[in-house]
Amino acid sequence: MSEAALRFEDLSSRRRFGCKGPGAEAWLSARGYHVPPMPNTAVVDAAGVLVARLATSEFLVEAADGGGDDVSSTMQQLTSAGRPPDVYPVARFDLVLSISGPGTDALLRQICSVHFTPLLADAKRHAGPVILTSMIGVGVVACPRLGDLGPGVTVWIDPSFAHYFWTTLLEVGDETGGVIIGKSNAVGHTT
Amino acid sequence: MKRLPPVKGELIDRSRPVQFWFEDLWVQGYRGDTISTALAANGVRVIGRSFKYHRPRGLLSVADHDANAMVQVLGNDRSIPNVRADVTAVQSGWQVSAVNTKGGLAKDRLAILGRLSPFLPVGFYYKAFHSKRWFPRWERMFRSLAGLGEIDGRAARRSTAKRYDFCDVLVIGAGPSGLSAALTAADQGASVLLVEESASLGGSGAYARGGSGEIAERTVTLALAVRSHSRIRVLANTYAAGYYADHWVPLIGPECMIKARAGSVVVAQGAYEQPAVFHGNDLPGVMLASAAQRLMYQYAVAPAGRVVVLTANQQGYAAALDGLAHGIDVCAVLDLREEPGSASGVAVSELIRRGIPVHFGAIPVEAAAGKGGDVGSFVFGLRAAPRRTEYRLDVDGVWMSVGFAPANALLHQASARMEYVRSVEQFVPYSLPAGVFACGKVNGVYPLEERISDGADAGACAAARLGFGTVSTRRLPPPPRECPTHSYPIFPHARGKEFVDFDEDLHVRDLENACQEGFDSSELLKRFSTVGMGPSQGKHSNMNALRILARYRGEGIERLGTTTARPMFHPVPLAHLAGRGFTPERRTALDTEHEALGAVWMPAGNWRRPEYYIVADKSREQAIADEVRAVRNRVGLIDVGTLGKIEAHGPDAAEFLERVYCARFANLKIGMTRYGLMLDEAGIVVDDGVVGRLGEEAWYFTTTTGNSATLFRELGRLATWWGLNVGLVNLTGHYAAFNLAGPAARSVLREHTALDLSDASLPYLGIREALVAGAPCRIMRVGFVGELGYEIHLPAIHAVDVWRSLLATGSRFHIQPFGVEAQRMLRLEKGHIIVGQDTDGVTNALEVDAPWAIRMEKPFFIGQRSLRILAQQPRRQTLVGFTLPPEAPSHPKECHLVIHDGRIAGRVTSVGVSPTLGRCIGLALVEPHLADGKRLHIRIENGAQIEADIARAPFYDPKGDRQRMGDQG
Repeated sequence: MSEAALRFEDLSSRRRFGCKGPGAEAWLSARGYHVPPMPNTAVVDAAGVLVARLATSEFLVEAADGGGDDVSSTMQQLTSAGRPPDVYPVARFDLVLSISGPGTDALLRQICSVHFTPLLADAKRHAGPVILTSMIGVGVVACPRLGDLGPGVTVWIDPSFAHYFWTTLLEVGDETGGVIIGKSNAVGHTT
Repeated sequence: MKRLPPVKGELIDRSRPVQFWFEDLWVQGYRGDTISTALAANGVRVIGRSFKYHRPRGLLSVADHDANAMVQVLGNDRSIPNVRADVTAVQSGWQVSAVNTKGGLAKDRLAILGRLSPFLPVGFYYKAFHSKRWFPRWERMFRSLAGLGEIDGRAARRSTAKRYDFCDVLVIGAGPSGLSAALTAADQGASVLLVEESASLGGSGAYARGGSGEIAERTVTLALAVRSHSRIRVLANTYAAGYYADHWVPLIGPECMIKARAGSVVVAQGAYEQPAVFHGNDLPGVMLASAAQRLMYQYAVAPAGRVVVLTANQQGYAAALDGLAHGIDVCAVLDLREEPGSASGVAVSELIRRGIPVHFGAIPVEAAAGKGGDVGSFVFGLRAAPRRTEYRLDVDGVWMSVGFAPANALLHQASARMEYVRSVEQFVPYSLPAGVFACGKVNGVYPLEERISDGADAGACAAARLGFGTVSTRRLPPPPRECPTHSYPIFPHARGKEFVDFDEDLHVRDLENACQEGFDSSELLKRFSTVGMGPSQGKHSNMNALRILARYRGEGIERLGTTTARPMFHPVPLAHLAGRGFTPERRTALDTEHEALGAVWMPAGNWRRPEYYIVADKSREQAIADEVRAVRNRVGLIDVGTLGKIEAHGPDAAEFLERVYCARFANLKIGMTRYGLMLDEAGIVVDDGVVGRLGEEAWYFTTTTGNSATLFRELGRLATWWGLNVGLVNLTGHYAAFNLAGPAARSVLREHTALDLSDASLPYLGIREALVAGAPCRIMRVGFVGELGYEIHLPAIHAVDVWRSLLATGSRFHIQPFGVEAQRMLRLEKGHIIVGQDTDGVTNALEVDAPWAIRMEKPFFIGQRSLRILAQQPRRQTLVGFTLPPEAPSHPKECHLVIHDGRIAGRVTSVGVSPTLGRCIGLALVEPHLADGKRLHIRIENGAQIEADIARAPFYDPKGDRQRMGDQG
């Protein structure tokens, strides 16, 4: 990365789905997903699939570093008639952004009341906390992760806020030391 | 006043001079000077005019604990009003002027108001200016007189971003106790954020030296340790503006606000020195002893040449010794007490040894003006002297040190409980909420070493509570050796002008008169007299006002209570509060499509929606009317993606909907929809929507645009509270929706779906899931706009393609995209209500003329109990329709009042000129008896009244045939 303090990557095109319900955990496990046992935690399995447990029985599953075909297949099962009655699909057409770089903590301190500093310091590649909070006035799901370029945070945002969130984040990021906008491919390399 | 030779510890940098204008005077100061101190160093004694009487005022606190030093500053790019001169570092090139003058500080034409003071007693404005004829003149006069600084409309816009900060222990105040608290907490392992409103650390430890360097050296040692500690961050020139729940504290720095969250908070904000109240105590040259000490030690300014010190504590003696140390002629020390306190003995002896007269039992009579208008002499009596003997001292300065008031506003905001402690004559916290600690003077501890010890104890406990260290119980401070505050330093004079509140020009008689008029509680006295309501918010006046009130009532202060201390602690620039505001805006998936179609945007809740679409050579009204006609006669397409969209799943989903809506849903057939009205516990209408049943345990329902987020949270709460087996999924932002409506709607839609759209297959109010233009959709046959219509809901990623497909096919039928304004008229023609427009926060379900939507026979729904009660009572209002003749020259607007027998009997909720009907139609909430009549009288903008004919809604297609239009093939 050049001198800019921040890198933003648009990860919205990654395949993902959400599900919830009393049967959701068992259903995901039966399909081979690594389901975190505790709410507000996430794991990334060896295939690169992230499973985030948002609450006791709500999950977000995304092909973060791979596993896109499996995720697509599960999505089809979720929306088919064969879905168990106690597993409910949750549409997830989120705007998904990765924020990384040395300016990440300073940026987050302007837009969010959660103390991310220790979370970024402890960020790991394959597991971590899931934070449901508000950033720049918008409810988001945030996950600190250790990426190829160091610690950062991935943020999922309701798509109706996408324009506002993106433009505001750019504005704040520019003031925090400049932004590089990068695009990440499915296996986690940046271009 | 003059600049002294270099003083150890001074804050000014003599190698960097600064020049600026004050009024028409060219002033030189140094880097590090504040505006006030630079003026003082140049002998400027009058720095402002008082608020009401325009009396000349000089420095009182040099700490912004009063509003004497409030100025207008013309800087590089703008003129800034109400700059606090005591605490604002001066910059070269500034043009500084006093606020609140007409004609300049020296020749303020409004000084004449001082002579009119007998006609301007406390609360005079409540008793005068009642004449309707004269009021406009009074209003103009007050508008020109009122206010302090002036806003510069040309000022360039600044963006001051706020940010968050975090720490384990937040210490507010860097005097000796605060420094000690910070060090102890940090030594125990906590991360500490230390906040100090001054530019330098040390508080009174830096300047209240008593003529020796020991106190300052002790303080400097603490400050250096703090600066070098790896776990302490220091924010100087920053003050804590308030205290909010969960240890949230806004910190106001020079450039922006920092929203700090701490694990524990230590309040070490010290105390405000209080003025003695005597005739002439507001003359320039009369100041607090601490102000004189600040000037001498921090800015190397001699406040006067010859002074008298008025005291009632050891701090006054210390100030006298400080004056002597700087070559000032201290001609006497006058002690209000009969004898010195035990802590003052050494200082008294030293002063006497140096030949300074010390008199006990002093009774201040007045400070008298000299030739220049500032103080020239001080007159006093002695209790031991024969009655009416008065003594006069020629002085050019009077230093007052008669007591302190704790800076405990933040503790009050944190819900601390206070008790009045006689041994220190101040309120002291006796109960603090978890995580909040107080130390030092605010905790009633005054001797230096005891403050340091108290601070260490508070810091230790603050850190231990978070797991750093093991101390957990606060130690009680030792009893004071000497009371720092006189119990009643107030000496009324026959000629008045013994100022209690310098900001508001209130003297003793004002407060006594207010009490006599019945405003004899702390809150009433404050509001009637305005004591404590000026820019300094009572820092120098509240306690003396309480003392006067207590004496008037013959009660102890402890029985009176205090007024409520609210944020902000000091005035905060509006730019800091405004900062960068985050105002989220939502857009539908079709936003760029609308932009391309020429949409004119409007806000709808936090969404932006097309109000209408621009048509060349047509006005707004014409374009909207055309959109209405298009829907009525052909086909239109509107983006309704802003609607709340929620799924309910599970075995208890039907039961859940039965409880939250007042219609029946348990008996709704799969594949059908029903209108739902949602109430609160009081029976007030809070939302409405369409509920569709997709399966035995699968439901899909809509909410109003503005309510979706709030409702989803509330529904989730209810589901949890009731313990029902129901899963709620919020699709609002992830799904798009549009309404295809008009006689040709079926013809357009059938080109893109294999779904059988015949009446038999998809009847009115039916819901189906099917592909439309290849996208999975939910199609609801509903009739909000009163025509054959299909509301199509689909994942947002498919919205653009389907929208374009429908428009392309619809072009054969002259399809028209239509916006919110056309939709509002179309639904008004059908008499369909909009919740929040045709209802308000007090409209209950019985008043909206929709009995078919309420099933009182159900076992339970939210609001049912209230409706039963309301049904027994006379109805307060009801919704009616009205029309005006086509030729009516004037039309009402929304919220215009319905008048009956000369009084308000209702209001218009929706109104507009119907293109379909060719006349003005509307809805109004009115007293029920009017609904049975024929006419309404509506008062319009110019006060005129017009007549409208009561008409039963719907105004158009009352039987609903258009919505149920059969398949014509």
